[in-house]
Amino acid sequence: MTLLEVSGLNAFYGDLQAIQGLDFSVAEKESVALLGANGAGKSTFLRSLVGLIETKSGTIRFADRDISNVEAENIAGLGLGMVPEGRMLFDTLTVEENLLMGTLTRRAGSWTLRRVFDLFPMLEERRAARPAQLSGGQQQMVAIGRALMANPRLLLCDEISLGLAPVVVDQIYRSFADIRAEGTALVLVEQDVKRAYAAADRVYCLLKGRVSLSAAAKDVSLAQLTQAYFGM
Amino acid sequence: MAWVETLINGALLGGLYSLLGIGLALVFGVMRVVNIAHGEFMVLSAFLAVFLVGMFPSVHPLLLLIPVVVTSFVVGWLYQMLIVNRVARQPDPLAPLLLTFGISIILRNLMVELFGADVRSVQLGELSRASLEVFGLNIGIMPLSTLLLAVVLFLSLQWILKRTTFGRIVRATADRRDIIRLFGVKPDRVYNYVMGLSLALGAVGGVLLAVRSSFTPFSGGERLLIAFEVVVLGGIGSFWGALVGGIALGMAQLAGLKFDPNAGLLYAHLLFFIMLLIRPAGIVSNRT
Repeated sequence: MTLLEVSGLNAFYGDLQAIQGLDFSVAEKESVALLGANGAGKSTFLRSLVGLIETKSGTIRFADRDISNVEAENIAGLGLGMVPEGRMLFDTLTVEENLLMGTLTRRAGSWTLRRVFDLFPMLEERRAARPAQLSGGQQQMVAIGRALMANPRLLLCDEISLGLAPVVVDQIYRSFADIRAEGTALVLVEQDVKRAYAAADRVYCLLKGRVSLSAAAKDVSLAQLTQAYFGM
Repeated sequence: MAWVETLINGALLGGLYSLLGIGLALVFGVMRVVNIAHGEFMVLSAFLAVFLVGMFPSVHPLLLLIPVVVTSFVVGWLYQMLIVNRVARQPDPLAPLLLTFGISIILRNLMVELFGADVRSVQLGELSRASLEVFGLNIGIMPLSTLLLAVVLFLSLQWILKRTTFGRIVRATADRRDIIRLFGVKPDRVYNYVMGLSLALGAVGGVLLAVRSSFTPFSGGERLLIAFEVVVLGGIGSFWGALVGGIALGMAQLAGLKFDPNAGLLYAHLLFFIMLLIRPAGIVSNRT
């Protein structure tokens, strides 16, 4: 069943068109990679999905509901969660308090504080720490955990690996298996083509706001992906 | 001994000053908005208190603080929802400054129209003159009660912000207004509550100051100045800093009056100026 369906989406930053006629879909429990270079429009796209950016035209349907230009705070309870680029943790809240913010959506589900600590054991040790006292990888885990605490049906992950050591990124990507096992679909926005490609069922490539490639991961090679990424 | 008494009374006065500043600190800390009309709202609450005292002469004036505080909360909520929220989201800090400045002028003139320009005060009778002797020192009961009330309110505010879900939401909204929306929270509604709380706290300070000294519709500027100095002196973002800042100002004022009975608030302002030069981050420079 299609969980997210985007048709003909157009979004702007002021007068600059960042997204042009974009079609995109995610099925239940699916993992979709959205790849592209800096400035391709990936983060703009994710932010427009969750209602943080207004779109000029096109439709966004989530779980059979039209959420086009619905306010972000009204989308939150529907099961569409996001791990924003740069983590964006709440600086004056502790790790535990940051995680508990996810429960404000009041969505029922299996993700609890206990489960998040089981997924990321080092967070339990640092539960009273503030984000500034954590490493980049630990902050990323908090950001993921916070989004999971809202029990999303679809989790949008924006540049999870940015600025992190490979070994840390490996650990985070391993956690996606547990997340998918709970039935959560994933959208992975990445500049790291190889890693996202390996974790995805389907891949999209974005180039200057348009989709340059859309295929099942098994039907496209890394070389083809790289060509679409750079627009060759 | 006289100096000790002066400094103690200055500290007690500082408790009152800290109440003037805490509401301003709260709004700035959460919304990054300086509410220039804060002083006028405090004066308005004092006028409301005077009005209620006249309407209900058999009720102790301090009990009438309760409806004044509740009304101020509602007024703050509406003020934020209908007016300030329109500009609070803008990146330009000038817009809310100009807007709240305009509101302060409107309020001042409204109060002149409604209440006249005569000097008023909130009368507590003997209670405002009562004192107790502690180790040979005369300590005013009202100033002591005011300081204790300030400490209780500060502790309560700290407890709310640190230990409740509402407090977590307020802090998170102050940190990242956009991201909190991803969890179903409307930042504008949070701001409504915060402004309501700010004016309610300001009402306590405004009414208690009206017990200590007289006021007119034009007294808002002086109250805003004290509130502003308390916040900056104590350290922007620190609520306990506002208490410390208030105490420092109160002590400076009363100590200065011992040198020069005509000095008014001069020495308090001088202390503020000196602190800006040597420690601009404030006495307590960490965020609470």
